[in-house]
Parts: sequence; C-alpha cells; structure tokens
Amino acid sequence: MHTSSKLTKEFTKKWLKGLQICCSSKKDMDVLERKKKIKLCADIALASAKNATTSWSIALISEAKKNDENEILVDNLLGPESRFKQQNIIRQMNSCHKRVRSKKILKKSCSISQRMKKMGPPKSNLAAYIAKRLVKKRTQVLQRLVPGGESMDEFSLIKEALDYILSLRVQVDVMRNLANATEVLNQSNSSNVFD
Amino acid sequence: MNPQLPNTLQQQCFYNPNDHMFANHSALVKPDPGMDEYWAGLHAGAFCDDQLGYGYMNPNPVAQPVETDQALFLQGNSSSVSASVSPKKRKSQSLQVVSDKEKKTKGCSEGDSRITHDQNSNSKEASNNTSSKDKSKVSEVQKPDYIHVRARRGQATDSHSLAERVRREKISERMKYLQDLVPGCNKITGKAGMLDEIINYVQSLQKQVEFLSMKLATVNPELDFNIDNAFAKEIFQCSTSEFPALGCSSTNSAYFQLNSMDQGGVSYCGLDMGINAAEMGLRRSISAPISIPDQTFLDSSCYNQMQPSGVWDGDIQNLYRMEYEQETLIPFQSHQFTGSNEGINMKTET
Repeated sequence: MHTSSKLTKEFTKKWLKGLQICCSSKKDMDVLERKKKIKLCADIALASAKNATTSWSIALISEAKKNDENEILVDNLLGPESRFKQQNIIRQMNSCHKRVRSKKILKKSCSISQRMKKMGPPKSNLAAYIAKRLVKKRTQVLQRLVPGGESMDEFSLIKEALDYILSLRVQVDVMRNLANATEVLNQSNSSNVFD
Repeated sequence: MNPQLPNTLQQQCFYNPNDHMFANHSALVKPDPGMDEYWAGLHAGAFCDDQLGYGYMNPNPVAQPVETDQALFLQGNSSSVSASVSPKKRKSQSLQVVSDKEKKTKGCSEGDSRITHDQNSNSKEASNNTSSKDKSKVSEVQKPDYIHVRARRGQATDSHSLAERVRREKISERMKYLQDLVPGCNKITGKAGMLDEIINYVQSLQKQVEFLSMKLATVNPELDFNIDNAFAKEIFQCSTSEFPALGCSSTNSAYFQLNSMDQGGVSYCGLDMGINAAEMGLRRSISAPISIPDQTFLDSSCYNQMQPSGVWDGDIQNLYRMEYEQETLIPFQSHQFTGSNEGINMKTET
C-alpha cells in the first residue's frame, strides 16, 4: 500500500502540473479536445510517475512523443534529467520492436509452411490444440491492451499487465476524486446562489 | 461417458498443471492452484521413494513452444493417478476415451518403470532419448547463473521439459498474483479464463479513465485546474494522516464518498472543524470534502461543532477565491461567485 500511495501522490502532482501546462497553452477548446488533453496528461503523468521502471510506461511515453504537439508537454512533465534516459530507452524499444516484428514475420511464414504440410491438428491432441489457440488469442488481445505489449513474451506480459492494472487503478481513483470534488464544488456553489 | 472430459483433461494436462487437473478423478490430488500442493499431492499418493533426479538448466530458457515439450509428467503409480497427463510420445495411449483408463494406466506404468529405472541410476541418464541433450547439459554447466531444478521422480529430466516446467511455474505464480488483483477471479482457475478476466478488467479500467476524463472535461469548462501542487499534496497528506487506518487502501474507502454529499456543504466544513480544529487553512477546507471518511469513523461531536460558522464562511470564501482566482470561469459562474459571497455574508450576520 505504501507504493500505491506514493504512486498516487506522484501521479497527482504530475497530472495537475500537466494540466496547468495544457490550459496555459490554448484557450479555446471544445469538450472532446479537452477530454483528450486531460486523458493524455493523465496517461503521461502515470507513465512518468513510474520513472521508466516498467516497459509499458516507456511505451506509453514513446507513443506520446511521436506526436509533435505533445512533445513539449511530455518533456516538461518528465523533467530534463530523465530526457536523456528516455531517449536511450526509446531507441532500445524501437529496435526491439523491429526485432520482434521480423521475428513474427519469420514465425508466420514458417508456421504457414508447416501447416501446409500437416494434415491438420492431430486428433489425439485436438483439445490441447484448441486450448493452445484460446490462450494464444487471449494473450494477443492482452498484448494489444497493455501499451508496449507487442514486444513481450508471455511471462513478462503478465508481469507488465499486473503493474499496469495497479497503476490504472491509481489513475482511476485520483481522477474520480477530482471529478467528484469539482462536481461538488460546483453544486455547492450553485446551491449557495439560490439560498 | 462424459464427452467433455477428455477435452478438459487434455487441456489441463498441457497448460494448467496446477489446476484442477484431477478434479474429475476421485484420486489423490485436490484441485489446487498451488503448484507445490499439487506436487505434494503427487508425492504423497504416488511416490514412496525419495529419489529425485537433478537437472541443470539455463535460467533464461527460450520460450519454447509447447509442441516440443515432450515428457510433461510421468506418473509413478499406475493405480492412483490415471493418465490424464501423458507425454506426447504416447499419442497412441492418449486420453481420448476415458473409459480406457486401465489401458492408459498400464501403458503409463510400463513407461514409468522404464523411467524410474533410469532415474534410479543417474539423473543424467534420465529418459529414453535424452542422451544427446545430456551432453549439452554437461557443457552448459560451465556457464554461470544456473537455476538448479530438481526433476521429480517420474519426470523426464531433459533440459527442455525442465525449462518448460520452470517457465510454467513462473507463469502460474504470476497468475496467482493476478488473481488477487483482479476482483472475482478466485473461482476461475485456468489460463484462458484468467486471461479473459484480466482482459475484461483492463478494458473496464481503461474505459473508466476515458469516462472520467470526459466528465472532467465537461465539469470544468476550461481546464482551469488552478490548484497548487501543494494543495494536491495536502489532499493526500490530510487523508492519510487523519485516517491512517483508511490510508489509500481501496478505491472507495478513505476518499470521497458521494453519499455524504447529500448532507450539504455545511456538514463538510463542520467535519473539517471537528477534525482539524486548529487548522483553518484554505487547503484543509478544500480537502474536507475530499477526505470524507466512512461515517463510522466520525464522532458525533464533529457535527456539533458547526457553531463557528463565521470561520467556516471565511473558509468557504477563501476556497472560492482560490478556486476561481484566475477567473477563467464562464461569466455565469462568476456571478454566482459574487452572489455567494453576499449570501454568505448575510448568513454570518444573521
């Protein structure tokens, strides 16, 4: 629990900081844009609160950086020192992505040729085959969900998913609190007017 | 017989060794997520001897596709554990028809006797076709950082299966953690089901984030979160220091409870007064609505301390000033602001 409270504090700080940066830049935004900005700030804050210890956070940040608009925001949030670290890590990630992609292509071509040779799933292991397919499908879906999940094997994927779930929870908590707080303030504000 | 049975057995045999593999059998092992208990059960029921084989393997096994996993588990005793798990080699004796239990167990015991013989001698001469792999094992010993894995009796000790086993154990351990994290996962055992739940949970959390950010976008007409970082810290410091028992344990507990909203703004600050008698700071007052605890934690005396409303009003004014300091509100709301000020002043006078 200590780690989660630490994470909460870090996240809140960074998120509010990011939001301040956001609202200082533009004045007129419609709801959807605002929502995007809020979510982006939250995601980046969450990822940076992890301080590049987990790969999903690195992946999140690298994705956000790809968009030029967000780069200033990201850099500000992360802080100058971590910038160099991030760059190195991002370079590693990119190379890793390429490696994984080429591996996947190779695997696919191999498996296709194998499948051509095979008559079909051997009857004795039909259930195993089915089970394997199920698990594979699900791990694929999970890979898509967890940021940066494509370049992970099953074991580390589960570990990352664990971590990601924890931080998502923190994020949801903080956002919910803030939303409720502002809502209540608005309500009490409006109710006071009519008293 | 039960047509579904062989499927589940097969499934469990290859992927969920720590699951209710033997649930369908009245035999020894209870359905247990714990790998250790599973093995203990096996040992207790199946094995009397204490002879175990040793195997050495690389701590970073390459993720091996399951097809190459040859001898998964070889059962020692024929009678107790039926051949729900059998190596791929013995396809002919497979689990398709459960009614052929006897046949399978016979086949198993044949193979097992062979293997136990091997294991009795030396671990390196383990199973039938692993001599070549043993050589590679010997050469591998020279590398540093080895995980020493004991191959249990009745198990093949080739490096592949050992690596596979270690990998599976790791995965199952992680799955256990995930079971604790993801709510409602206690009943599900089985990789596919667990993964399903995890996926659902992650998706729901992500959707919640989207929804909340949308809500924030609508509630705050312009991203005017003019709240200090210090204030943000205060929120959590307050909540954690005042209610250490609550801490930041779960999603809904120590924090903000919508139910208490109904009482209106007065009670909040009253609570705040009760709890932070000394602190009339702006930040505390803001944190009051946020750090509302469960009502069980509150003293009734808190509610009585609503007399010094003057101070409360002062707090409220400060609060609003802080909140809307840099304006950026819709003009309507700024009207409200001034209006509320007057209203509050009137209250204090009366």
